Amino acid sequence: MSAVPTSDAPMPLVFDRASHWYGDVVAVNDVTCSIDAGITGLLGPNGAGKSTMLQMAAGLLAPSSGTVRVYGESPLDNPSIFRKVALVPEREALPSMLSARAFVEARAVLLGLRDPKLAALRALTTVEMDTVADRTVGGFSKGMRQRTKLAAALVHEPTLLLLDEPFNGLDPRQRLHMMRLLEERARDGTAVLLSSHILEEIEGVASRILVMLSGRLAASGDHRTLRRMMTDRPHTVRIRSTNDRALASALLSSPTVMGVDIDADALMVRTADYTGFAHHVGVVAQRASITLLEVQPTDESLEHVFAYLVAR
Amino acid sequence: MSIAYGRISPWATARVLVQLAWARTFSVTLVVGLIGLLLLPVLFALAFASRGSLSGDPVAFLVQRYDSLVCGLAMPLIALLLGTSAFSAETDDGTLLYLVTTTTPRWWIACVRVMYAAMVTGLLSAFAVWSTGAIAADGSNPEHVTTAFTVAVLFGGATYAALFTALALLTRRALVAGLVYVLFWEGALSRTFPALHYLSVRQWTLAVASSLTDSSEKALQDGPSLTASVIGAVVVVVLSVYVGGRRLQRPRMQR
Repeated sequence: MSAVPTSDAPMPLVFDRASHWYGDVVAVNDVTCSIDAGITGLLGPNGAGKSTMLQMAAGLLAPSSGTVRVYGESPLDNPSIFRKVALVPEREALPSMLSARAFVEARAVLLGLRDPKLAALRALTTVEMDTVADRTVGGFSKGMRQRTKLAAALVHEPTLLLLDEPFNGLDPRQRLHMMRLLEERARDGTAVLLSSHILEEIEGVASRILVMLSGRLAASGDHRTLRRMMTDRPHTVRIRSTNDRALASALLSSPTVMGVDIDADALMVRTADYTGFAHHVGVVAQRASITLLEVQPTDESLEHVFAYLVAR
Repeated sequence: MSIAYGRISPWATARVLVQLAWARTFSVTLVVGLIGLLLLPVLFALAFASRGSLSGDPVAFLVQRYDSLVCGLAMPLIALLLGTSAFSAETDDGTLLYLVTTTTPRWWIACVRVMYAAMVTGLLSAFAVWSTGAIAADGSNPEHVTTAFTVAVLFGGATYAALFTALALLTRRALVAGLVYVLFWEGALSRTFPALHYLSVRQWTLAVASSLTDSSEKALQDGPSLTASVIGAVVVVVLSVYVGGRRLQRPRMQR
């Protein structure tokens, strides 16, 4: 987690003990972090507070406590920040009667660009939508809508780009294209903050990842650090076999196993080294002439992973 | 290549905001609803005209129909449909975000949407007034009643449009709230209790019409003064733009 910067040069985005609650529900809880140039991933399960973070960054929500600064300024009641900032929302709705070109041009006009037509064409070309730009967005696929939204965000070449689940609905080729696009912008000095609930989506593109859980910033680091944290954590694996008791006894001698519980119809094995265990269990079963009927990790959901990270 | 910014052009942004509002407003249901509302006074006028000399006083007929069918029904409902539809739809599906994440001043966005709804409401209501008058009075303009109501509905339509545009940003159920307002406040309460005339857009509209016609029909005699009506309408319009602009600073987003 980055400390809040103290140098004179304003960071693109700084959250300082920022919280936001909707009535009794705490959506973001005491988050301190800063976003610099490059791609930062905001990872967390649904309801973790990612969208609230992005909306606070765009000044659409006021922090209930703490502060949010965009290039040193409060984004609240400050439309001028949108010369530098763009937000791509998660929802895919667009004005269905307009063509992609008309929609992106409308954004360019509302942003006060001198040549809205040229800016719109450039943005649409960047996201490879120039050939279908005159079709109405009502007939677009999910992926085309995502790219139109991105074009609308890129039309004024913002230096802080906030993207909420931008890979939703994209096929692998489009996803790769968007990743390349974001990497190019990051290389040009744009600060990109993108949210996702899927680690694989952002670990390939984000140089730094912030993990959110229940409104809190649970962990941060590069994807290797987070991947290691996630795979090296204790796992519980449910195993059914042709001889559970014999298998339990054989597994207890394995260095990868921390403990075994025997349930009515399965073994519950705890391990700190999931990769090693996954390899070892097959060997042990084969040596003891036991057939494995089922090997199922019980806590692979993202919520379990994040819960572990928070509890560390 | 870097992007060149110009000044925010009021005309260009207004054109885009109207274009987006129209894209959200237009639907077959809306057009059918508007035609129905506009046809109602016209049908009454046709019935009146078909009875020839048995019909009675055209001024009395026109004032009654303008009061009940145009000022009391068509004009507020058209303003309600046009004032709430764009912002309500944009709030519901989240596309409002594309307006409020721009450098265009929020008060201007609210102001343009009010002007759009006001203009269309005023023109459609004026058309209803004019066509009803032309049919019932056989092309004449007795006691300037048609002219008076044409001006009055432009005034009243703008006031209603401002009120309902702001309402769309304040509540998720703007259409229902607006209907309740039109039917109970304007239709029942303000007509029953004379003290509430000063808080009724319909009565303000009648006051404007009353000041421009020589007719002494009862419906035109009970309302507030012209000065009070104009001040009331100006306050409503300015307050609606202000509240709408403030609301757009931190809009209500569906999560």
